[in-house]
Parts: sequence; structure tokens; C-alpha cells
Amino acid sequence: MATPLILTPDQAAFLQGPLSMNVGAVGRDGWPCVSRAQGVIVARDRRTLTLLLSAARGRAVLEALDAGSAITLVASRPATHATLQLKAASATRVATNAAHRTASARCVTAFSDELETLGYGKSVRAALAAILPTDDLVALRFAPEIVFDQTPGPDAGRVLARA
Amino acid sequence: MKISLESLRPCLDGAIPAVVATAAPDGTPNVAYASQVHYVDPEHVALSFQFFSKTRENVLAHPYAQVQVIEPGSFRHFRLKVHYLRTETSGPLFEYMKAQLAGIAERTGMAKVFALRGADIYRVLDIENADPRQQPAPPPPDALLKLRRTLDHLGACDDLAQLADRALAALAHGFGIRHALLAMLDETGGTLYTLASLGYPASGVGAEVALGEGLIGVAARERIPVRINHHTSEYTYHAALCVAAPSSPRIPLPVLANPHSQIAVPLTHGQRLVGVLYAESEQNAFFSHADEDALVVYGRHLAALVVQLAALPDDTEPALAAPPPQPSGPALAVRYFVHDHSVFIDNDYLIKGVAGSILWALLNDYAQSGRRDFCNRELRRDPRLPLPDFGDNLETRLILLQRRLAERCPQIALEKTGRGRFRLELARPLHLDSI
Repeated sequence: MATPLILTPDQAAFLQGPLSMNVGAVGRDGWPCVSRAQGVIVARDRRTLTLLLSAARGRAVLEALDAGSAITLVASRPATHATLQLKAASATRVATNAAHRTASARCVTAFSDELETLGYGKSVRAALAAILPTDDLVALRFAPEIVFDQTPGPDAGRVLARA
Repeated sequence: MKISLESLRPCLDGAIPAVVATAAPDGTPNVAYASQVHYVDPEHVALSFQFFSKTRENVLAHPYAQVQVIEPGSFRHFRLKVHYLRTETSGPLFEYMKAQLAGIAERTGMAKVFALRGADIYRVLDIENADPRQQPAPPPPDALLKLRRTLDHLGACDDLAQLADRALAALAHGFGIRHALLAMLDETGGTLYTLASLGYPASGVGAEVALGEGLIGVAARERIPVRINHHTSEYTYHAALCVAAPSSPRIPLPVLANPHSQIAVPLTHGQRLVGVLYAESEQNAFFSHADEDALVVYGRHLAALVVQLAALPDDTEPALAAPPPQPSGPALAVRYFVHDHSVFIDNDYLIKGVAGSILWALLNDYAQSGRRDFCNRELRRDPRLPLPDFGDNLETRLILLQRRLAERCPQIALEKTGRGRFRLELARPLHLDSI
């Protein structure tokens, strides 16, 4: 059996920073699909992630995952373009709770703050709050099996860790 | 309601990064940032291919992808189901994307990293609005109205010189453009020369751009509009000027050192390229997709006017003019270099090429016979001038010459005495020397 992947402290810290997050899966019909995610929580042991996304926005991705698709998460820091991609063979839904909603709101605020600093304008905060509400959150848990450096450039796709 | 790809054009200007989801043959998903999602036509987009990435590996094996783009202002997300068709590695679309990518790369700090290897063309099969309850971004200012205001200001023009100046001034009224120039294709078809400019400390009249050089040269060579919404050092002309050989006389292009938005639109009449209209701004994202559409229409209108005005017959007699002043004072040393038709006056470079040979012919006629009055029809047939069949090249070259003289050597002037007629006026005697 492969050794479980444990994220480095730096990777875990990166995932708690201001991030643009997108989650991908592949539907039963073979079509890839993507949805913006709105929060991630790294477990204390750095082996699992709990990813938060809207049920309505992520419908196609959630259906694909329910049907057994592998999952991929791309998280990028807008100010530096530093990007990680984390993949796993599956993800499971877990019940959402108040802590998830708090975490999502914190992630969206951090993302908004970063974009405002980068000159996207003051309207970005209200726009992101409107499109990323916390009232229909779904929580997905998965254990990353491979981590890629996805920072744009010729080295994008380099494997950083593998289970 | 079906969403049209045209309505998403504001999402396809590189303002907010897009992502593309693909699937490996074993069904593993991949999501990656796409530097550039370019609007091709109502059914196709093109993604930039810069590196041999997982995205590319996946679509070559399984050509289905989903692209997520974001509307600036509202942050509404749209998801496009796309089918990869082919990759183009040269031609107009490739060149346009290459220029735009240079702007995107500079903005994202990737200027030394990004280079376009190909334009991957995808058919768009379906578009989904992921935020149907979110209000759309306010529409951009109506470009059709801007075009109409511009044309109202352009008005009726009697000659090419007036058209060249008004064509640029009208842009300020219609589009709020403060910096622009008009470059005409020369008779060789390999170079453009500046005929008029707007909003620069020096007019730059006579400054040349080679076909394919910078944004103006690319627009001319490919006969496409090219628009960059961000600052890029790759498509500025200042870098090129710095490496120009100091021994070869070159009039500097008057353009901004650090434009943040640029657009170059070819002036075409039928199959013929007449020149290029170039405009720029110190603001990011100054020109929208709709502005590009409107300026393309304006460019075609200007090209038709250039051709039409050049075809008008010359007046048969010159208008009566006051007697010209008699040359007095020390002689101006006029030196002509036969190999490139360049003219220097008191060792200062004035002009070269066709305009240089015209001036040399006029000054020699005056020296030999005292002749001052000339008409374009005669010059078109003059075997001393390297002119092709296109009549308007002579017209625009005369305007160029007239303007360079007014700027650099007002002691020699070409005064208009009717349509297609002009008079040589000299305030100083001349000493002619040919090398």
C-alpha cells in the first residue's frame, strides 16, 4: 500500500491563504467540468482537505464525483500566481456545519481583499459576496494523492509530492 | 435563453484569468489556468498554446474541455463546453494572439516566460451562466455612437492633407482618443510612413515602420486589427529605436514610451492596403472589443476617402498667388544622396525615398529654369521619380514633404495653388550638391 501523502507545512499554510480555487471532475459522459470553490480546510494531520463549494454552482462537479470521478483542486494566489494542483481518486461528501460556513466566509473575504489590493476595484467585494454565498454549501473531503506545482510557466505540472 | 459567444467578449480580454478543465484518457481531471481565451468568431474561441502542458496532452487525446471565463465588473462566471479542432502556428489569428499574449504576460509578470507556440482552436458547443441571479456588468459605452460622432466631426474633406488631420482629430471627439497616428503604405509595400499624428510633442511625420514591425507593422502585414489592453515592452517602438544604426537617418515615431493600451487598424479599400490607423492610451483596457469593431469600420471609410480624393482630377490652372519672396541671405546647402534619395539641408537630415527624390527634382528644375509652379500630373509621369502606378502615393508623399519642410526647413515651402497644383517658395538661395 502506498504511503499516505502528507502536505508540507508550507503547502498547508499556502492553502489557508487568500486563494482563487477551482475544483474539477469528469462526468459519466466523459466531459470534464469545473466549478469555483469557496473555501478549504486542511486537517491537523495535513492528510485530508475539506473543500467547500456551492451546491448549485457545483452541480455538475458534484454529480460527477457522486458517480465516482476523481477530483482535482487548483488553488492559486492572485498576487503571486503561485498555484498548486492537488488530485485524488475520489472525494466524499460530509455534512456541513457552522465552522464550514465561517471558513468559507473567511476565504471569500481574504480572496476579495487580495483582488481589491490588485486593483480589481471596490466592487469586487460585493460581487464575490453575492456569487459565493454560504447558504448552500457542500463539503467534500478528500486525501490528496499527488500535488503539482501549477504556477504558470515552463515548470507548471512538476510533481511536488505523491502518495 | 441561449447565450451568444459575442455577448461574452468582455470576458475574453484577459482581464480575469480563465481556467480550463480537461480529462486524461484514464478519466483523471485536470484544471489549469489559461493565459488567453480569444474570441475568434460566433462559434469558436482560441486558447494560447505556450508549453507542452497536461491540458494540451489531454485535449490531443480526448478533445473535450470546459472553459470557465469571468465577466469583469460583475464577476459572473460562464462555462463553455468546447471541442478542440486544430492548432494554428502562423497567420493573422496567431499574430493577433501573440501580440495580445505579450500584454497579458507583462501584466502577470511572465514577460520572459510566455511565448506563443500556437493558437488552439475550439468549437464552442454550449455556454452556461453559473451565476444566473447576478446582475450583468454595466454595458460599455456604445461604440456605434462613438463612430457616428467621429464621422460627424470628420465631415467633408477636400484634400488628403485635410483628411489626414481631421481623421485623427475626429477620434478625440468620438472615442476620447488622445494619441494616434496615421501611417501610409509606401510604394514598395514594405514600409509604412507617418503622414499625420495627434497628441505627441513631435509630429513624427515621415517616421517609418517596416511591415511586421511592432503593432502597426503586424496590422499591416496581416491586414488585421490588433489590440493590446496592457502595457508590454515587446510591442513598443522605443526598444527598436534604441538599436537602430546611428548612421542611418531615422525620424523617430512619436509614440508613447509606455502605452497601456494600443490598437492598430488596417486601412483597406477592397483588396488594397492603404495604411494603418494606430491609437494608444496611458490607461489599461482603454479599447474594447466594440471599439475595435467601430475602428475597423472607420479604417475602411478612411481608406475609401483616401482613394477617392487621390482620384480627383487636378485643377487646370494654378490659382493666382501673391508674388513669392525673392531668396536672400546665405545659401542653404542642399545635399542629395542618390542611393536612398535622402536629402540633407545644412547637414541636417530632412527626408529620403520618394519624397526626397521629388524635392530634388523640384529644386533642380528651379535651379535650371527658375520654374516654381508644378502640378501632380506631370510629376506622376516624371521618369526621375521612383513612383508606381498608384496615384495617391504621390499625393501623400507631397503632403509628407510639405510637412517635413514646414517643421525642419521653413525656408523652403510648397504652397498649394489648387487641386493637384503647388508652388515652390524659397526664402534663401540654394547650393545643390548630389552624391
